[in-house]
Amino acid sequence: MTRHPPTIDDESLIAALRLASGHDPVPAHVSDAARAVFGLRLPGAATARPVATPAPSGVRYSEETRLLKFTAADLTVELEVTSLDGLVALAGQVSPCPEAGTLVEIRTLHLTQSRELSPTGQFAVTGLPPGWFSVVCHRPEHAPVATSWTRIRP
Amino acid sequence: MSDQHTVDAPLTGDQVAWDVLVSRFTGPLWSAVRAYGLSPADAADAVQGTWLRLVESLHTIRDPDRIGPWLFTTAKREAFLLSRRNRGERLIADPGDAEHARFDPADAGHVHSDPALTVLTADEGRRLWQAVEEMHEPCRSLFRLMATAPDAGVHQLAGRLDMPSGSYGPTRGRCLNRLRTMLTAREATP
Repeated sequence: MTRHPPTIDDESLIAALRLASGHDPVPAHVSDAARAVFGLRLPGAATARPVATPAPSGVRYSEETRLLKFTAADLTVELEVTSLDGLVALAGQVSPCPEAGTLVEIRTLHLTQSRELSPTGQFAVTGLPPGWFSVVCHRPEHAPVATSWTRIRP
Repeated sequence: MSDQHTVDAPLTGDQVAWDVLVSRFTGPLWSAVRAYGLSPADAADAVQGTWLRLVESLHTIRDPDRIGPWLFTTAKREAFLLSRRNRGERLIADPGDAEHARFDPADAGHVHSDPALTVLTADEGRRLWQAVEEMHEPCRSLFRLMATAPDAGVHQLAGRLDMPSGSYGPTRGRCLNRLRTMLTAREATP
């Protein structure tokens, strides 16, 4: 068994040295969070993957605003992410506009918020903690669609 | 593999088995992402992101033996993106990045991943440091310092090694190459 192949990269070698030295153990809160992540799984959900968004033209966006776009087979979720006073706000557009009764869940590691979609397929949420988030679209009689987990830090 | 059951079970929705996976891999994943120079807060994000990607992709992983390498490949990817984006951007939204968009976690098992960390036992750790102890200066001191002061900046490390800041990176690169060569030679002559 080859334990240290010649292709091992610098970072892996540094990591192995540090791991073996025991000087930088993983903090307990990181392990706790990793255990809690299992509760966030969504069996049967489709994942909406990120697609590159061109920089908006003609609109002057501040440094604190980003546009994100996620697509699944039959659904697109566009998000405008704004950071204000250390918290994160999301304004979203789901298209094509789903039928009435569609719920959107905005999930973070610490809290989940639900919003009913507007008749034009829009939703907004403010005061999210910075960190990882995912938006889940629950349409009646469809499997949920969840945007790939995304990290936002002011 | 003796832990086949424990690795297999999270695929079918078993929290206890997931916890075993977390206990086994979170420490090595932490070291893997910290090696990219991430602060403790960023490293925590990278490790959390790795577990989130696993939960998102569990249904795509057919072979439980691939979970370990998959986790390391994903963690290194997250850490690389984070370390790169930390230089200059205030609001970080990773998946908007085109490079990230091309990354399909389902393929991660085929990308070069690091077996050294997934199987690093106490014995192997000792052998690794034994090799370091046989090295000449400044490599020996550099590695000791790098291990004991994971949050020290280049200026601080260079100062304590009594070398100009600009020399630290190239010296570290040479020392890592030398260590790699020693380890490879040992593999060849068991």
